[in-house]
Amino acid sequence: MLSKGKSRWADDEEDKVLDVQRKKEKEEKKRIKAEKARKAEEEAAAAKQAQEQASKAPDSEIELSSRPLKRRRLSHSPPALVESLPPARLLRFPAPTWQKCRSVEDFEKLNDIEEGAYGWVSRARDTISGKVVALKRLKMENNNDGVPVTGLREIQTLRDCEHENIVALREVVVGEDTSKIENIFLVLDFLEHDLKTLLESMPEPFLTSEIKTLLHQLTSGVAYLHSNWILHRDLKTSNLLLNNRGVLQIADFGMARYYGDPSPKMTQLVVTLWYRAPELLLGAERYGTAVDMWSVGCIFGELLTSSPLLQGKNEVDELSKIFELCGIPTEATWPSFRRLPNARSLRLPKNPVAQGSVLRSKFPFLTTAGSKLLIDLLGLNPEKRPSAKEMLEHEFFREEPRMKSREMFPTFPSKANLERRGRHGTPNAPGRGKATEMGEVDFSGIFGGGIGNGEQERGGGFSLKLI
Amino acid sequence: MSHLFNPLVTAEQLYQRRTHNDLPVELQDRIRFDTARLTHSAGILLRLPQDITAQANVLLFRYWTVDNLRDHEFNDASAATIYLTAKISASPRSLRSVANVYKYLLTADHDSSSTKSAPHSYESHARGYYFTEGEYQSLRGRLLTLEGQILNALGFNTHVALPHPLAITYLQTLDIFSPSIPKHAATEISQRTVQYLNTALMSPQMLYLTHQPPSLATAAIYLAAKEVGVTLPDVEWWEVFDCEREELGFLVMAMGSLDAIARGYQERDGAKGMITRMAIDNENRRSSLETDNTTPRV
Repeated sequence: MLSKGKSRWADDEEDKVLDVQRKKEKEEKKRIKAEKARKAEEEAAAAKQAQEQASKAPDSEIELSSRPLKRRRLSHSPPALVESLPPARLLRFPAPTWQKCRSVEDFEKLNDIEEGAYGWVSRARDTISGKVVALKRLKMENNNDGVPVTGLREIQTLRDCEHENIVALREVVVGEDTSKIENIFLVLDFLEHDLKTLLESMPEPFLTSEIKTLLHQLTSGVAYLHSNWILHRDLKTSNLLLNNRGVLQIADFGMARYYGDPSPKMTQLVVTLWYRAPELLLGAERYGTAVDMWSVGCIFGELLTSSPLLQGKNEVDELSKIFELCGIPTEATWPSFRRLPNARSLRLPKNPVAQGSVLRSKFPFLTTAGSKLLIDLLGLNPEKRPSAKEMLEHEFFREEPRMKSREMFPTFPSKANLERRGRHGTPNAPGRGKATEMGEVDFSGIFGGGIGNGEQERGGGFSLKLI
Repeated sequence: MSHLFNPLVTAEQLYQRRTHNDLPVELQDRIRFDTARLTHSAGILLRLPQDITAQANVLLFRYWTVDNLRDHEFNDASAATIYLTAKISASPRSLRSVANVYKYLLTADHDSSSTKSAPHSYESHARGYYFTEGEYQSLRGRLLTLEGQILNALGFNTHVALPHPLAITYLQTLDIFSPSIPKHAATEISQRTVQYLNTALMSPQMLYLTHQPPSLATAAIYLAAKEVGVTLPDVEWWEVFDCEREELGFLVMAMGSLDAIARGYQERDGAKGMITRMAIDNENRRSSLETDNTTPRV
């Protein structure tokens, strides 16, 4: 085997020599082509030469090795044909590298970001680059198995993602003592808000145009995840971040994992209760992207009312709240639901209320397309829920009022950044501001966004117009 | 895209590991080869899908480009990588199972490579496979420490794209499974391709760290087709799979020569089993003592 290998090398050397020879030939030919008169003769000669060479080559090869003739023919027999091909443009892949984690000591802590919403996250500055980032500390609760699998999955999935609506994981850093890796921190892009805190502190809910901007970005992110075979499994408003430039990003991949088709058996203990799809509550072990879409539906509803849609106290209560809002499943609307583990003990009324009717009346200000989308997302049958990709094409995003462009998106004081709504209640200084206030109703879209005063834009008449 | 490419080792890392190391290069190669084989055997006994075992092999070689080979016992490093790789995959294995399998594989005069170990040997060695609780706890501690070290060295980047699925696609693209090619030839060529790819995981040249999956797949197909005697297109078909002629030549050589390397190892000290760090340390100590004794001091 080794000797065979050696002879291969020898051949390669020889090939190179021949290659050079062939190249010379080519050049010669090109010159000859310019002289059109002699072209035909020369070509014939070249062909003859090539033939001779081809017939000569095997002889020399046999001396060197017993390699089959196939490869020689491969590169040499039709020189005329090879010549006509331009050099191939090969795809070159990026080749990132790996290196040791930096120490968390390279970061200077600025402040803690609310603990409840994020877990342990703090705002910090990279002392080397000067960039402000969010540092998220991995929970090491179950130390029996080493680094917890949830944390590893979070890193694994986030690292593979590159999308503007998914929070970027810059790197992973560890505590100073590297003899035992116990403190692990994710270095994430810092965004000023999370949607939950924002919704709680906003005096008025988002406008329809703003909701569309947010929902569309959320759906783009989810579509990206699903097309990369990642289930998020914990979509909720506190895991959605928003910066002051109107960009929404999905964060917290602690529950995320890769899935397959057909989906593997997975735990049904995922997704925060209020956002958990009925099939999970009924104990399904094989589920798919539809569980994320249910959560998207819940978030849609929450954006409309500023408070979570289905606030169940426990699994049973959550399920009954779902049935209250979305109707009772029947064999017709959700054929296989009876076969789910927890459905056997379920006692349902005989004459179910028509599905969707409650949702429609709960959101009277929503257009027909809007409520159709919400009803579809909160459909009990996971098969019928629209996929993220389908949702992006939905009529709701195309009809008036259009999505507010990100540049026009209002900004808010950031709690994570320790900002406060300081000017609350104080009248604005006269002068420049005055003119904008005059045109408030008609031009709010034009003046909205860019300038820092969130409350000002709130006054716009979009909700009125909609009715 | 991430299914197509991997992070690659830098020239600097390769150079550092080759030169700034007190182990001779040949011994380093041997350790890599042996450990990769051990990982492979453990993967089989743990009933892990081959892609997990393959990823573990790649990750371990990556780890050794950052941290020194001698930092930890080699089989511990192997066990820790396979435990870690399985943990983040769809088929995790318990630390206890991993520990048992390695205990079994490492029990004296059990050759990890041979699958034909006689049944009577199980009983006679059964005591050797037994773990005392203390032993297990100490192994567990070592493996979990190592897991952290591996993750730290890799910057927590555990992404490994394998060439195997690409190779299948390439074979289909090359019409290997068309009716014009006899079925047994098509089967054999695909098997050989996968075998070459799996063997390449053990290459001391660390091919999976230096070359991207498309090139590995192309080279394996080239070799397999040649061996089986199936004619591939008369043009530079490898370019379709983004592999340069030079690269193909190198990989064909490297993959083709592995058989001889393995045979060489086996002939030299086939029955000795896996090299351990402890053995190397002992050997060093002994030889340094000898030199101390024999060489007259100046």
